[in-house]
Amino acid sequence: MMRCDEVRPHLDAYIDGELAEVERTLLRDHLAGCPECGPEAAALERLRNDIRLSAPIYRAPEALRSRIRFALRAEGAASAPAARAAPGWLAYAASILVAVAVGSGGTLLVTGERQEDTIAGELIDSHLRSLLASHLTDVASSDQHTVKPWFAGRSDVAPPAVDLAGEGFPLVGGRLDVIGGKPVPALVYRRREHVINVFVLPASRVDLGFTLSRHGYSLRHWNEGDLGFWAASDAAPSELAEFERVFRAATSG
Amino acid sequence: MAWIAERRRRSRFESVVLPHLDAGYALARWLTRNDADAADVVQEAVLRAYRYFDTYREGDAKSWLLRIVRRTSYSWLERNRPADVVPLDAEAGHEEGGTGALLAAGNTEALLQSRSDLRRLDVLVEALPAPLREVIVLRELHELGYREIAEVTGVPIGTVMSRLHRARSALRRAWLGKDTDDAV
Repeated sequence: MMRCDEVRPHLDAYIDGELAEVERTLLRDHLAGCPECGPEAAALERLRNDIRLSAPIYRAPEALRSRIRFALRAEGAASAPAARAAPGWLAYAASILVAVAVGSGGTLLVTGERQEDTIAGELIDSHLRSLLASHLTDVASSDQHTVKPWFAGRSDVAPPAVDLAGEGFPLVGGRLDVIGGKPVPALVYRRREHVINVFVLPASRVDLGFTLSRHGYSLRHWNEGDLGFWAASDAAPSELAEFERVFRAATSG
Repeated sequence: MAWIAERRRRSRFESVVLPHLDAGYALARWLTRNDADAADVVQEAVLRAYRYFDTYREGDAKSWLLRIVRRTSYSWLERNRPADVVPLDAEAGHEEGGTGALLAAGNTEALLQSRSDLRRLDVLVEALPAPLREVIVLRELHELGYREIAEVTGVPIGTVMSRLHRARSALRRAWLGKDTDDAV
């Protein structure tokens, strides 16, 4: 039979299941008969249960998951040998545009438009930055009467900010990015856990009317009047198409 | 093409590491004691893990990620809240039971007793100095074994055991309000 002073140093390991079979049996026998060590072991077990019962269960928030997925894409782009020498996302996005155009047998004409390439690259860059930097909005509001005036005097174009919560795309706020050296308004929407950035620029010369989709993010473009809209998101392309539909319906009416 | 290889690497990384994101977040949350900070730390840690993914060999992905999350948490704390990482510094360089350990145990007692709002056990756990807090969290909540805890925290198993013992003694005294401890 073990003595108490031999048992005590091993109590933690005993309740943690870290003892070898022989020792465990020896301790168990001692604990069963000892009026001091038995309750001591029971108190340790009770502490463990109390900790487990009282401790909140922390889970990674959905927003963090999507942030991380985006960050991994950006990271991959930065470390890919082909893009290493180029200025980060711009070249990466451009290379995807080329890949899309080539991969889809020429149905996309976007590669012919060097200027649009660059814009698309910068917009995706901006979209990712907005997710990575915990700087999603400059003005956080679902109220169009707050968001729209905020842009006045800050940019050349006045973006039509409409809340589309009823259609499943709540307005989160607005942000001003600098793209191609100019301030560009971005409207920020959510689609469940996805963020949709809608960049508003002067209308393109051609209405590209397409959705680029690669590596889990999509970029959709359309013109409306003298404004060009570029929606960037990791939501499914079909959801971006749906977004364009409800956004146009709400802004043109 | 490079991006195809890159995508393959990324999807392998995501399937190996992301299942343990909750565990990583929980550890960062306990170490930083704050939701927003934990999210920042975890994002930084996952990106770091991705960068070092080539050095990851088949094995325990959870411990691997937790080790990186832990290290990132500490460097984040050192940058932003250096006071949070101080208490057990005295332990460094000492064998278990040395002066440093005694000092640290004393600090822990004082720390836990100086707070009057510590009516809940989880708040007590949160008030422990980080090196004691992390062994409790890894053992009781992540349910890791001693060897895994040693791997995650980068200290010998003996140190894991003595820290665990000290943390439990401090918690019991503060929680149950009775002096039942022997060794410290």
